[in-house]
Amino acid sequence: MFEFSLHVATIAALYGLLALSLNLQTGFAGLVNFGQIALFGCGTYGAALAFNNQFGPVVGLLLGLVLVSLVALFFARLGRSLGSDYWGIATLAIGQILLTIATNETWLTGGAQGISGLPQLFTGSTRLQGHLILFSVTLALLAATWWLFHRLTQSKFGLSLRLMREEPQFAASLGYDLDGLRRSAMLVAAVPAALSGFLFAHYMTFVGPDQLFSTETFVVWTMVVIGGLGSHAGVVVGAILTQMLFAAVPFAKDFFALPSEYVAAMRLTLIGGGLLGFLLLRPQGLIPEKVGSIRG
Amino acid sequence: MVQFLVDLLLRAGDIALVAVALSAGYSLVKFPNIAIVQYATIGPFLAYLIARSGIPFALAVAAACLFVGVLAVALNLLVFERLLKSGSAIAMIGSLAVGMLFTATLLVTAGPDTRHFDFAITALFDVFGSNVTLTQMISLAMSLTAFILLALLLFCTDIGRCMRATAANPNLARATGIDARLVVRVIIFLSGMLAALGGTGIAIKSELNILLGPDLMLPVFAAAILGGLGNPIGAIFGALVISFAETLAAAINFGPLVGQSFLFIPVNYIAAASFLILVVALLFRPYGLFVNEVKRV
Repeated sequence: MFEFSLHVATIAALYGLLALSLNLQTGFAGLVNFGQIALFGCGTYGAALAFNNQFGPVVGLLLGLVLVSLVALFFARLGRSLGSDYWGIATLAIGQILLTIATNETWLTGGAQGISGLPQLFTGSTRLQGHLILFSVTLALLAATWWLFHRLTQSKFGLSLRLMREEPQFAASLGYDLDGLRRSAMLVAAVPAALSGFLFAHYMTFVGPDQLFSTETFVVWTMVVIGGLGSHAGVVVGAILTQMLFAAVPFAKDFFALPSEYVAAMRLTLIGGGLLGFLLLRPQGLIPEKVGSIRG
Repeated sequence: MVQFLVDLLLRAGDIALVAVALSAGYSLVKFPNIAIVQYATIGPFLAYLIARSGIPFALAVAAACLFVGVLAVALNLLVFERLLKSGSAIAMIGSLAVGMLFTATLLVTAGPDTRHFDFAITALFDVFGSNVTLTQMISLAMSLTAFILLALLLFCTDIGRCMRATAANPNLARATGIDARLVVRVIIFLSGMLAALGGTGIAIKSELNILLGPDLMLPVFAAAILGGLGNPIGAIFGALVISFAETLAAAINFGPLVGQSFLFIPVNYIAAASFLILVVALLFRPYGLFVNEVKRV
């Protein structure tokens, strides 16, 4: 039971990183990213490709960061001429293209089978100890990202991001460089997403295309909307809540003796229902964004 | 060559109805409704269910389309119009959530199995030397009839004129006494029906399962955006462009270019062709191939 709780907590912390990343893009900069999972995938495939070519995890980490910077810059470039809804569709399409490449370039990525056998990053005296260290590292990374993003969004940079979100034309008329803002926001937000993917790959010891389905993006979206767009604390709470509910789904299935396709249906209902319910009834989320809280 | 044209038309017919539905809906309710591809999944499932109870196929399809049309209007009133007040991106996320709830419902009620409509297997038709099945003919005829009826409605009737007026300038239309709410309901009802019909056309040709909608999403968005979102007739051209690219990518032998006898693009990448067109279109022509700022009524 302890191991199971630790697993849920680790996954929740990894998703917390993804949620903080999406929140910086959508909640602050107003960039509706439907390809968030592609940023995560850069991290996982960076780790997997390095492992497959007999390089160590450090190379994997660097490769992941390089890949994610390229994808983030491309996303930002696309955002130049598009409204937020069009941009959402474009990011979704890019996510699908990258997924198609990962599934079909078998010589590079192992195809649908993926790449397995990645080593655990931390080996304590027991497997459990290794997992405990990994959890602590993830938690520390989550706290550091939270603190950094908090400082960043309290600064002048955060203010200009919010201005770009609310009144892009006004921001441009004041001389803000919207392209530059978009680029830096995407780059800064992409790093924790790739780190989350890197840690996830080594924790699960397996990387495959089925981890990158667009449904996973919408899981992160649900976390952010439930927690509250534009609130760092909120999206972390959203990530923890959603993961706890997901962890309860198999137990509920056993308790009510339901067939196994109900697990997928229940997950979808949780994400879809959670998203829709919060959008309709409490669009500000559990912990609303504090407006006017910046003194920077 | 004829086979190429037939393939192209069949593929375009698949995408075009749902793309037209998306575009027509967008013309009055300004957000890209992702749930539309789920309307295209529910339609054939309902038609299948109704046809199973012994009702003739045509009646079953009509009933299913009517039901999905009503469902689309209800969802628009209860969910999307409220979400749209917070912006089009929020409404789009809401439509995604609605789509996930539909998939969950279908998983529980119909299950993940693949189904086939029962059509008697007939000899292939010979159309200028290429083979066409009966279901392909029916599906193409359904699409064509729907397009002609839609064009007649939009350009030859009073309600069609009201729709185009409201799409071009909602405030002016309201000022001239057009009941904008009624017009919105009619067009949303139509878009639900068209999507359901489009999904049915795909399902009778091949197979019916819950992935029909999700697989359709990016080609449909690509077609609708190429035609200019909000321009239903443009969406038909968008669908032709997309299916032209897909059919061409599948049919060209690149072998001679690299000195081999055969080299075809792997079939898995052909689906990605439409995603790529979508990204390129968004990079260079985000408002479609035919942008006309001034729409005439």
